[in-house]
Amino acid sequence: MRSVSTWFARYALQLGVLVIVIVSMYALYPSFRVEASIERLIPLGVIAAGLAVTMIAGEFDLSIASMAALAGALTVVLSGLGLIVSVLIAITVCTLLGMLQGWAIAKLGINSLVFTVGTLVLIRGLTWLVCGGLAISIDDIAASDIFYGRLLFLSPLSATGLLILIGLGIFLSRTRWGRELYALGSSRPEAIAAGVRYPRGMVIAFGISAGCGAVGGALTSALSGSAAPNALESMLVAGIAAALVGGISIAGGRGTMVNVFLGFAIISVLSAGLAGMGAKAFVSQLFIGVLLLLIVLVEYLIARVGERGRRSRLRRLAGA
Amino acid sequence: MTTVQGSAIGFQERAGIRRTMNAIRNYSLPILIALVFILASILVPQFLTFETIRAILLATSVTGIIAAGMTAITISGNLFSLGVTASVVLSGVVYIWVGSVSGNIFIAAIAAILVALAIGFAQGFIVGLGLNPVVVTLAAGAIIYGATAILTGGEVVAAQSRELGRFATFAIIGIPLPVFVLIAFTAVAWFLTERTTIGRNVHLLGHNKDTARNSGISFMGTTIWAFLIFSVGLGVAAVLQVSQTLQVQADNFPELTMNVVAAVLVGGTAVTGGDGSPVKSVIGALFIATITQIMVLVGVPQGTRYFVLGVVVVVLVITLHLLRKAGSR
Repeated sequence: MRSVSTWFARYALQLGVLVIVIVSMYALYPSFRVEASIERLIPLGVIAAGLAVTMIAGEFDLSIASMAALAGALTVVLSGLGLIVSVLIAITVCTLLGMLQGWAIAKLGINSLVFTVGTLVLIRGLTWLVCGGLAISIDDIAASDIFYGRLLFLSPLSATGLLILIGLGIFLSRTRWGRELYALGSSRPEAIAAGVRYPRGMVIAFGISAGCGAVGGALTSALSGSAAPNALESMLVAGIAAALVGGISIAGGRGTMVNVFLGFAIISVLSAGLAGMGAKAFVSQLFIGVLLLLIVLVEYLIARVGERGRRSRLRRLAGA
Repeated sequence: MTTVQGSAIGFQERAGIRRTMNAIRNYSLPILIALVFILASILVPQFLTFETIRAILLATSVTGIIAAGMTAITISGNLFSLGVTASVVLSGVVYIWVGSVSGNIFIAAIAAILVALAIGFAQGFIVGLGLNPVVVTLAAGAIIYGATAILTGGEVVAAQSRELGRFATFAIIGIPLPVFVLIAFTAVAWFLTERTTIGRNVHLLGHNKDTARNSGISFMGTTIWAFLIFSVGLGVAAVLQVSQTLQVQADNFPELTMNVVAAVLVGGTAVTGGDGSPVKSVIGALFIATITQIMVLVGVPQGTRYFVLGVVVVVLVITLHLLRKAGSR
């Protein structure tokens, strides 16, 4: 019983926001369907998960949207080999690139925000080269049909998304390498002194981040049968918003895949609901921005009140 | 480990190495630009013409002005603003609207700068509370983008008369006004960050936040000042940009934010704060514009240009990082 209540206390803010968003969508727009809205935006959820992993490790991967576009372009270019094969190749190539990026960041000891600003441009340029500078599409239109089937009650897309979130959740909370990412994110010098291998952590974190970006991009391209050199740029902001709205701490060391799922659910319900009501895409941008700012402010205020309470308790102890 | 090294080479030799590394770091980019200019003049036939140089300077002016302003934020230890594009678009829309109504481009420019200042003040205030600047400016960018799109209905806002383009077409001895504005703004930004109390506080805060606060420097006040310096540049740049295009739409200039950030990084201002200069960032912007212009002249396709630019940014950022590390050892 106790563990259930602490679980709810931990995610109370995000659960509350999600309920408010869903209820207000149903109230404003009765034919709204939650499942449909969530399903359409699953690539965003996977990308948010990737961003969350690097944030937990105390880093930041700005190159993730470019990586997603590269994976999409590779999927389309290699689609002659069979769509599933080309998706897998694209994901593998991007994951390896991400691991290389993590290794470089660790070996250079460079700020990942700085490094990934550079690779954001570089990988986007690589995508332009792969596409040949044009929007490209798969020749065999029927090829994407396999992604529209049903596995039990889930579409292949949602099944993949769920599997990735659950897999990452187990990896982060139950394995040594996953726990080490939290340690590196919350107090790095102590973690390294205690024997956590920093380079390995970076290779894992950026490998996962690039892999998630690639899954998002490759699935988007496989479903639509097309890719463009400037595609998916908005995924960076939307993904960061989803992770942070969900309650992942940008300071590192805090947050779980449940946070990612909640944040993704809030963002996707909000934007799908607004789109369903006929609002243009920029209206949902406005709402997402406001929501992001509000959640960060509320968390900041909670942290400050908590800090004040802790200090007054200490003072009372010192007085007594 | 350090003791072993310390005994191997003496203190004075280490200081010498440190000085050399710092000198290389400070002068490498100007030397690199000079080299690129000389090489391009010899190898690319149309490079050393008045038109090319003019195009490079004009391309540098908008990113350079914003980068010079953003350097104040970076030096203060608040990383970057990731909402540049949206703010430039909103200021540009205000410039065209006020200009069309009042018919006076100076009133329009002042209105655009005031809007940029108001946005910057709000962001500086929130960051000053202690919130992460990347998140705040990203969220602010999304809000401003959404608000601008709603205000304009997502449509193109175009200037009714060519009069509004006067700031871009006006030229002294063949050199367009934006280039002079770039030089003037860089000088002002340099003076503010290097020669005034505000600037010293910005540097100290970026160098060591806790010590600066304990010495009585207000984190809130200094952060707001840094954002205000940035916002003036942003408003000015927006006026110059829209004067060139004479129209603006909510989703224009998507690459502007990253270009500005790249200019600051390539220029050699430290993201950790406390070390850098607006002049360096302008040189960074000049370098990027020069490389791009050379590739345009040689006929490199857009995709390859983007790729080469990415390689250049990554290589320069890594080199500067290694030099800084060697210089502070």
